[in-house]
Amino acid sequence: MSANIDHLKEEHHQPSGLMRWITTTNHKDIGSLYLWFSLLMFFVGGLMALVIRAELFQPGLQFVVPGFFNQMTTMHALIMIFGAVMPAFVGLANWQLPMMIGAPDMALPRLNNWSFWILPFAFTMLLSTLFFESGGPAAGWTLYPPLSLQGGNSMPFVIFSLHLLGASSILGAINVIATILNMRAPGMTLMKMPIFVWTWLITAFLLIASMPVLAGAITMLLTDRFYGTSFFTAAGGGDPVLFQHIFWFFGHPEVYILILPAFGIVSTIIPAFSRKKLFGYDSMVYATASIALLSFIVWAHHMFTVGMPLAGEIFFMFTTMLIAVPTGVKVFNWVATMWKGSMTFETPMLFALAFIILFTIGGFSGLMLAITPADFQYHDTYFVVAHFHYVLVPGAVFAIIAAVYYWLPKWTGKMYNETLGKVHFWMTTIFVNITFFPMHFVGLAGMPRRIPDYAVQFTDFNMIASVGAFGFGLSQLLFVYILFLTLRQPVTAEDKAWDGAEGLEWTLPSPAPYHSFDTPPKVE
Amino acid sequence: MNRLSIFLVSMLASLTALADWEVNMPRGVTPTANAAYDLHMLIFYITVVIGIVVFGVMFYSIFHHRKSKGAKPASFHESTTVEIIWTVIPFVILVGMAIPATKTLIMMEDTRNSEITLKVTGYQWMWKYDYVEDDVSFFSKLASDSNEARQLGSKKDVNKVDNYLLNVDNEVVLPTDTKVRILLTASDVIHAWWVPEITGKKDAIPGYINELWVDIKKPGVYRGQCTELCGKDHGFMPIVVRAVPKQEYTKWVSLNQKNRVADKSK
Amino acid sequence: MTGVKSTLIKLSLVVVAMYGFSYALVPIYDKFCEITGLNGKTNQVAYIGNDIQKDNRFVTIKFISNVANSAPLDFEPSVTEMTVQVGKPYNTHYVMKNNSSKQLHTTASPSVTPGKHAEYFKKVECFCFEQQTINAGEVKDLGIQFIIDNELPNNSGDIVLSYTMFDITDNIKETNKL
Repeated sequence: MSANIDHLKEEHHQPSGLMRWITTTNHKDIGSLYLWFSLLMFFVGGLMALVIRAELFQPGLQFVVPGFFNQMTTMHALIMIFGAVMPAFVGLANWQLPMMIGAPDMALPRLNNWSFWILPFAFTMLLSTLFFESGGPAAGWTLYPPLSLQGGNSMPFVIFSLHLLGASSILGAINVIATILNMRAPGMTLMKMPIFVWTWLITAFLLIASMPVLAGAITMLLTDRFYGTSFFTAAGGGDPVLFQHIFWFFGHPEVYILILPAFGIVSTIIPAFSRKKLFGYDSMVYATASIALLSFIVWAHHMFTVGMPLAGEIFFMFTTMLIAVPTGVKVFNWVATMWKGSMTFETPMLFALAFIILFTIGGFSGLMLAITPADFQYHDTYFVVAHFHYVLVPGAVFAIIAAVYYWLPKWTGKMYNETLGKVHFWMTTIFVNITFFPMHFVGLAGMPRRIPDYAVQFTDFNMIASVGAFGFGLSQLLFVYILFLTLRQPVTAEDKAWDGAEGLEWTLPSPAPYHSFDTPPKVE
Repeated sequence: MNRLSIFLVSMLASLTALADWEVNMPRGVTPTANAAYDLHMLIFYITVVIGIVVFGVMFYSIFHHRKSKGAKPASFHESTTVEIIWTVIPFVILVGMAIPATKTLIMMEDTRNSEITLKVTGYQWMWKYDYVEDDVSFFSKLASDSNEARQLGSKKDVNKVDNYLLNVDNEVVLPTDTKVRILLTASDVIHAWWVPEITGKKDAIPGYINELWVDIKKPGVYRGQCTELCGKDHGFMPIVVRAVPKQEYTKWVSLNQKNRVADKSK
Repeated sequence: MTGVKSTLIKLSLVVVAMYGFSYALVPIYDKFCEITGLNGKTNQVAYIGNDIQKDNRFVTIKFISNVANSAPLDFEPSVTEMTVQVGKPYNTHYVMKNNSSKQLHTTASPSVTPGKHAEYFKKVECFCFEQQTINAGEVKDLGIQFIIDNELPNNSGDIVLSYTMFDITDNIKETNKL
């Protein structure tokens, strides 16, 4: 994963060993740091999911007390969102964006280093709260007051670490935008950029606009708890629902932040393995931008049961339904890319195809949730849990895995074992569905979210889901094995490792040199 | 084969065994629950049709447009006409969905002309019920046999507990064929009151009052749960509504009026 | 690299602006609700005006009470229901009892449902405009005077006025310590 820098050590007196990784300003190194960190956090969050699913295997409480269970659900979400998915996308951005636009590195390399190193510090702080006497955060990752104001000593640490995570994301986003807007190779106009670059550009703007709002919301929580403000308490003239509005004003763009880079990845991989250009490139760019803009006016669909005025409920129902249109356009464009292509089904393509199907299923449950009067029955049940896990796991996570398989030859010069990759794919896909599909059923049948124990009629589907979860977790161990096996291979990958691959990165040798495009290439 | 026989036997033995494999929302016993169900099914069928079409095209392509079958890639990669078509058609379908959805929402939010008012207050971790006109007031918490069985390491078989986690000490009694206005608030944190067969849920927010209405058409016992995370025992504060004919309700009121049942004990 | 510097400065300004925006959302939320009449908040200062005409419509007002956080208070409306003529002023009161053995400071928070009718419920006087001090064992009458604005749409149905009484004794002690 780390490009060969032995010769550089002699030339530039680069540090080696631990100091190299601590002080590096190289986008490839930093990309690797983000990706390994994200993999580690994925397993930490995954372990928490297994605690949850172990407890939910049967009715009755077998393993944990309810208070700890709530800490698990809260932390599982925080770790997966802020520790696994977002850093993985930033890692992919770091590795790929400079190469894709023909730039030598990111615009602000030292800022890049800080953006990464904030993360291990912040997550150590966050995870340490689990060991406090009063326990870690247990009000859900959404931190609604007044419940979150009842929290123990963990609260200021959670808020501080969220501030740090937000800062890391904001700095990363600034870096991405500065890089893309200023450092493209001559001839690469905006509408000639690879689609992955577009989706990251738009994601970065979403980050800049939404993460500061989260910062405001959690600061208000902090001052309500410790400094006598009453933003969210009726006694002082405040309103708990105000928090929900501010939080979800951030929270909805956040979920698009979690998926737009995935769209970019799929839009890269499908054409490569169909040997056909992406259908409707312009349309895809406009659709992504529309989704981003619309994402700012749908937030209250997370709050339909809060007692909003009818006009508000209708407005948000309409805007939420509307966002299905550009999303559907993207799915149709992918299918049109495949149509009359010449497809092969290597592992990256398998994950990308599964993404399209399973993300779309998540989209369907999302459309159902958009219908306010129906949502009064779905809200806060496992139907919602099923929906967002479909768009996040066989959605965002599959895209990340696909991207790793796809670009691994470029990063390392080594090919992963294709047979093992396919086994990993099939096991992952089968278990992901076993885990999350039954959640639609129990949610519709009446099982609420965030409960450690349930009425006995929900037993059978919960058992199935728990079995699926353990299977899914084990399958990811295979992924780690595949990665390590690959790193032990000799360098054999071609420059253009995939015969349908397009883009500047494939003009570089595999592995890509530590410094690439020191002189920008010419782009027609 | 074994699985099939077990399934058939249990089906014959008791139809309630099917509740374990319940895959859908109940249609419910009120106009609002019925409306939510009907809308849910409509949208669901539409998404099924869209799914069949889109995935059908995808699978066809996966099977036929593959390199191993000798397929050569075409070169088309854009078409404004097609983009317009597959933007407009979904938009029209959505408008078609939005119309019944809006009508249903307006119907659900109209609490006028209610005959009785029930104020529901969420507490950590139980409910309080106040019948405003009929002057009945009581707390309702998880039934003690459920509460014992659910403790970690209780060694009790939860399958033997009557309506495990869905039973309470004091039930809500409501008359059938009566428009009941339910007011919701909370004492400490946000809770939500939900009895799926009777109504969609609404949040119970401290310091604020929300409302919804129900008109229960069929007598029976209906069970629900708190559906907004409210602390450690969020999963352990259920709701039981017993719907009875009006005469029985009137009798129940006169027995319970000004009868403040067991105060909550922490 | 001046392009990079300029991007950096502009984006940093956006970040600061969006952080400020989240705080601005607090008054924006209130103003938006005031202008559109949404949300169910009633007037927070006394309504002074004499331009409301009486009309022939009657509305039933239901009075509800709540005590937050299980504070040691009894707090009930003196009447639970009044049928009032639109445009005419009316008086009613709530009764509060301090069941504890120490002096308490309290404040009440009103809420109206349906929320869209909150703007027509004009309070001329209300105990909710100020905090109360109530001694151990004391019983207090807390009055309100209100008028239903004749802008109220026809066929409005009942209006529910709810007060939640909060014991803020600890908060006051904290503030006094600072």
